Amino acid sequence: MPPARSAYLHIPFCHRRCFYCDFAVVPLGDQASAAPGAPGAASIAGYLDLLQREIAVSPAGPPLSTVYLGGGTPSLLSPAQVKGLLQALKQRFGLAPAAEISLELDPASFDQQRLAGYLGAGVNRVSLGGQSFDDQVLASLGRRHRRGDLQQAISWLQQAHGNGRLASWSLDLIQAVPAAPGQPDAPGLEHWRDQLQQAIASTAPHLSVYELTLEPGTVFGKRAERGELTLADEDLAADLLELTSTELGAAGYGHYEISNYALPGHASRHNRVYWSGADWWGFGLGATSCQGGQRLARPRTRAAYGAWLDSQRQQPVAAEPGLLATGMPLDERLLVGLRRREGVVMAALLADAGVEPGQVPGHLEQLRRLLAAERKQGLLLIEGPRWRLSAPAGLALSNAVLRKLLDWWEHVGPSPTGSGPPGPGAAG
Amino acid sequence: MTDVPASRIRNFCIIAHIDHGKSTLADRLLQETGTVAARDMQEQFLDNMELERERGITIKLQAARMEYTAADGEKYILNLIDTPGHVDFSYEVSRSLQACEGALLVVDASQGVEAQTLANVYLALENDLEIIPVLNKIDLPGADPDRIKEEIEAIIGLDCSNAIVCSAKTGLGVPEILQSVVDRVPPPKDLIQEPLKALIFDSYYDAYRGVIVYFRVISGTVSRKDKVLLMASGKTYELDEVGVMAPDQRQVDSLHAGEVGYLAASIKAVADARVGDTITLVNDPAAEPLPGYTEAKPMVFCGLFPTDADQYPDLREALDKLKLSDAALKYEPETSSAMGFGFRCGFLGLLHMEIVQERLEREYNLDLIVTAPSVIYRVNMLDGSTMMVDNPATLPDPQKRESIEEPYVKLEIYTPNTYNGTLMELCQERRGEFIDMKYITTDRVTLHYEMPLAEVVTDFFDQMKSRTKGYASMEYSLIGYRKNELVRLDVLINAEKADPLTTIVHRDKAYNVGKGLVEKLKELIPRQQFKIPIQAAIGSRVIASESISAMRKDVLAKCYGGDISRKKKLLQKQAKGKKRMKAMGKVEVPQEAFMAVLKLNQ
Repeated sequence: MPPARSAYLHIPFCHRRCFYCDFAVVPLGDQASAAPGAPGAASIAGYLDLLQREIAVSPAGPPLSTVYLGGGTPSLLSPAQVKGLLQALKQRFGLAPAAEISLELDPASFDQQRLAGYLGAGVNRVSLGGQSFDDQVLASLGRRHRRGDLQQAISWLQQAHGNGRLASWSLDLIQAVPAAPGQPDAPGLEHWRDQLQQAIASTAPHLSVYELTLEPGTVFGKRAERGELTLADEDLAADLLELTSTELGAAGYGHYEISNYALPGHASRHNRVYWSGADWWGFGLGATSCQGGQRLARPRTRAAYGAWLDSQRQQPVAAEPGLLATGMPLDERLLVGLRRREGVVMAALLADAGVEPGQVPGHLEQLRRLLAAERKQGLLLIEGPRWRLSAPAGLALSNAVLRKLLDWWEHVGPSPTGSGPPGPGAAG
Repeated sequence: MTDVPASRIRNFCIIAHIDHGKSTLADRLLQETGTVAARDMQEQFLDNMELERERGITIKLQAARMEYTAADGEKYILNLIDTPGHVDFSYEVSRSLQACEGALLVVDASQGVEAQTLANVYLALENDLEIIPVLNKIDLPGADPDRIKEEIEAIIGLDCSNAIVCSAKTGLGVPEILQSVVDRVPPPKDLIQEPLKALIFDSYYDAYRGVIVYFRVISGTVSRKDKVLLMASGKTYELDEVGVMAPDQRQVDSLHAGEVGYLAASIKAVADARVGDTITLVNDPAAEPLPGYTEAKPMVFCGLFPTDADQYPDLREALDKLKLSDAALKYEPETSSAMGFGFRCGFLGLLHMEIVQERLEREYNLDLIVTAPSVIYRVNMLDGSTMMVDNPATLPDPQKRESIEEPYVKLEIYTPNTYNGTLMELCQERRGEFIDMKYITTDRVTLHYEMPLAEVVTDFFDQMKSRTKGYASMEYSLIGYRKNELVRLDVLINAEKADPLTTIVHRDKAYNVGKGLVEKLKELIPRQQFKIPIQAAIGSRVIASESISAMRKDVLAKCYGGDISRKKKLLQKQAKGKKRMKAMGKVEVPQEAFMAVLKLNQ
């Protein structure tokens, strides 16, 4: 298992919590900022000290080729604070030449000058949390920004990208939003086509288009439980998925992952790491790291994270890279791998999971039979050694294929009592 | 344990509506007499089946022997015999009443008398029991004992001038209850010199000792070394144990007329020692058995199929084991092209059916498909023969049959009069024939209907409860068979006949039921990767159809580093859920869908 060369840093601070969000975030209020004396500034500074500490006590590793500062709203940090974090990483691991350094920005939480500061600090890719070009939708999602803020942010990013200081940028959109309060129906197909056209017109080289997921405990989750949320019905939601893929496809964007689209050369290198089954570092409260295929999620509250960090200092559990060499279990590699346009090389995954070479053809045959209906319907494509889901139909029904695969692996794969191949995935 | 003369024995039971506090009061009596020390007190001691605790009702009755020193300074033996509180078990109730001389009629001091209570009070009066009215929950703010006393006097004609008010929860009035049992319940007749006759009022299966039989000695004496004859089953046994429930089983040498106890004799199944049977001595048998023994007669039938065909042998084994402790359960193998191998099972009623299903799933870890309940139809064939049909799918074709008869019940609903209208409407919808309505008090009535049993065993009870906010209660008893215009309604899923969804309905209701059924199935069967037509048909004539569109979207929008574990668990859980579905041809059908006919009104 090659050691991790990617790092995720979690910046939990937000102005407010959006209605769909169940991330580990700390809302600080609309007036918060990192400026000395501003509301929330002390909280941010204190947290960054913890984050610095976690990086410092981490075991060393090879230089990083991708870094991602996500949140939350990392654009609440000052350029100097971002620089400080990147320096800490550089000190601990080093940064590879041409490393991809991404920062999430929310419209209305930064200005052009601050953007220049972030770029000066080393950021070369931005992910912009636009979500929608429609003020009514933005309000109904609980967002703080409006369409005008988004358009302004886009123009700054266009400029920075145009003059070469920003290597790439991405725009996030939420698909299949519920009806705004007072509206009888969820926005329909034509509304969405217009949103997509505006996204294309933004010239963002990368688009992340996420269908709304209802998470329990969020405002939307609670409203849905009480029957107060009018969602797109299944047919409309399916039509929206299809429209996204075709419209963006026609505009030259490759559908390279279930919810991600990019112009050639602009796929997110960092996110690809998660879908490849490789290891990554994770720092900060609520952040997950993956070492030797074993994921570790940090506590989601500030106090618990601080306490956990104290315990790490006395007895670091994150072992030396390379010491745990088990790798991500097969079912998880399928779960993430089949999200990608290129799918997986099934025989290689089986071999990595410890299946004896002599057994691989038998397993492949079993799987072909298990998924015969999906192949016949054109959802699953087997092209030479590569197994992949068709876009968009196969991707849209990926859970059906994954459930079968997960269930199959649960039976033939390694288990504490099972008789399957003694795969390394059994460890831990 | 000393020999106590019959004059110092009192045998009594408690009659109460489900949540009027019977179990709490029983617990309190055990505590007050020191039968169970406070520290050993589990809540509701008498209900010791897990299921009973959860449902808050007594399914299997139990008994307890208490010692009580009365005001006269004498020590009395008080035997409390518990009764089940559900209409499915009215035969068991009648047997336990026969084992008593008195009954505490426990009525919630704010809610008043309910139909089930009424039915059991009448049974008790028929058995000539001394009835002591007890008004419980007197501590609650809504308690109105004077009004409830009047109601009891008006409805049952029972003198309430010396009714006892109590709170089983706080213990208020409990000593008075014990003293009045001594004072007012007559002692058993002293028939110790006559040949042994003992009435079985309950039994259960113990894996180590065989069936444990609970009985009341009516005459004579039974001793540990006796050889006994069970007069209805004709079987003879040498006794291993005789004892009393105090409330844990404690062995004694002998029990004589008036006493209540248990015996063990390596009896293999409860069906060999049925409730109502008479125990006598092989060497000195009674001339005739005690009156009133009847065989358990199942009224409701359904198919039980394992979701996973591999579990069929396990299901057979589980049913065989359950049968050891449930004499009323009947089953025989059933094969369906759609469902594979399973069993056709007969039950006393819907509750009994649910209990068996739950026990099979819980205690034997089986995943079951239960088909909609059916009654037993009498089919008169053109060739003059008759056949009994308990499975709608096996109803003979119309060209072979002359007529169909279905069982009818006498139904009594007891309700506040504000709900008359809605209940009469419900009974009308369920093909009920109105007989009469009686005002029992100024604001409470009994509605009396005759109705097909098939209409009662669907969701009638739930509907009645929801239409009356839970205030109405009901009682029914079988009154015979009647001819009706009945048809077989088949359901086709993806063009294949789904036997387990077949129902027998009245011709006038067929269209509505068919339409409701396909709509409900459309709702309950999840979308699959292809379009599924669903049809309802009488013979070859389709009377209603719907279709389930193909699934087009089933995807997790986001999956980054921190999401993987959660998403994997979600998919694994969904995969397990799918396994609990039954494949009908290519279509995966969830368990609930097989009961769709019960949910047409929801």
